[in-house]
Amino acid sequence: MTLAIILVVAAAVALAFILGVAVSRSLQISPSSGLSAQIQPIDVEAFRNLVDPAEDDYLRRRLPPAKFRMVQRQRLRALAAYVQAAGRNATVLVRMGQGALTESDVHTTDAARQLVDNALLLRRNATFALLRIYVALAWPNSGLAVATILRDYERLSGSAMLLGRLRNPAAPVRLASTL
Amino acid sequence: MLQAHSFLWHYLWVAPNVLLLVLSFLMWKRRLYRRLPVFFAFALLSACCHLAIYAADISPWVSGENFWRVDWAGLLIEGPLKFSLIGEVFAQIFGTYTSVVRLGRFLIRAVGILLVLTAAVAAAYAPKDSLIGIISGAHLLDQTIFLIESGLLLFIFLFAAYFSLKPSRPVFGIALGLAISACVHLATWAIAANGGLPASKRVVLDFINMATYHVCVLIWFYYLLVPQKVPAQAAVLLPENNLDVWNRELEKLVQR
Repeated sequence: MTLAIILVVAAAVALAFILGVAVSRSLQISPSSGLSAQIQPIDVEAFRNLVDPAEDDYLRRRLPPAKFRMVQRQRLRALAAYVQAAGRNATVLVRMGQGALTESDVHTTDAARQLVDNALLLRRNATFALLRIYVALAWPNSGLAVATILRDYERLSGSAMLLGRLRNPAAPVRLASTL
Repeated sequence: MLQAHSFLWHYLWVAPNVLLLVLSFLMWKRRLYRRLPVFFAFALLSACCHLAIYAADISPWVSGENFWRVDWAGLLIEGPLKFSLIGEVFAQIFGTYTSVVRLGRFLIRAVGILLVLTAAVAAAYAPKDSLIGIISGAHLLDQTIFLIESGLLLFIFLFAAYFSLKPSRPVFGIALGLAISACVHLATWAIAANGGLPASKRVVLDFINMATYHVCVLIWFYYLLVPQKVPAQAAVLLPENNLDVWNRELEKLVQR
């Protein structure tokens, strides 16, 4: 009987979640309106500062180990906040792109599909990046921390770093506050 | 009213399956079977299986044992069909997006393996609910199929919700109907297989299952055949973006 109760409760929870998704889907308003306003601008300079290896080395040299770990954790938390913002922006872009998938113009639908694909990739990457940051939060000196992450950024310093300008021709929208 | 072989009982067993046959005919006429071939096969074969089981139930010359053999055959046909249908739903939602399809496939396989193991454990610990092995076996097989099916569908809903992906209207309708049916059937078959309900009360579970299935068939009708109302709106303008750059950066970050 215990097994039956467990399975009935599991089925009820699953059903409640699925019905919740169905209801929220039917209540969803037109995706084109007001979505761009939900995009959160990201301060590129502040982010660059956080992922700067020179900054990391400087702090490591100047601070005692315990203090360095504390500061490093604070920097990682800030980094996590940026990645979370990028992930949320990706979600908004998925919805914007999906809103355009029903357009009759082939070029628009192709562009929309590409946008959705890239935004999904960003959402996925942001999830994995967050996992790494949370692991690094537990062991700030492990080498998993920002230092390794930052080396990648340093290597790619020539390329634009963040999800940049997202512009609606009617009302320009910026993800990054500095470009 | 809630008795076996009452009018309502006959109606709830026959009507959804006749409706499913009508739905498959309409799908054929509208060439929807090209877009959703597995659902088309599911609608056709599932309706035929259920009607065959119904015929075996009401035919006086079919023995009890043979009825359960027919029921087993129906389960063995319907089970793989349902899993193929879940595969079709998954492919329709995520298949066009290369960025998540590989991750999705990996995760759904992992979830599938976990569910198979869970279902096997649940079946192993279930008490024999009938003196006749063929009956308790059928109940356990039902429980196993619905446990795996509802778990996989829940995963698909969760995965799509996490990525804010909105499936197309017909695919959403198919997934919704299938999920409602799977969850309710899981609960009822879990009670049937583990609860040790007396036979007189079992018929209530049959009514719940049949009524739920009827509702699900109506959901499929609605989502597949009734066109979506498109609100008049200005053309959606896509924003400029440099997602490629951001994705390259994050991928490098993750792969370290």
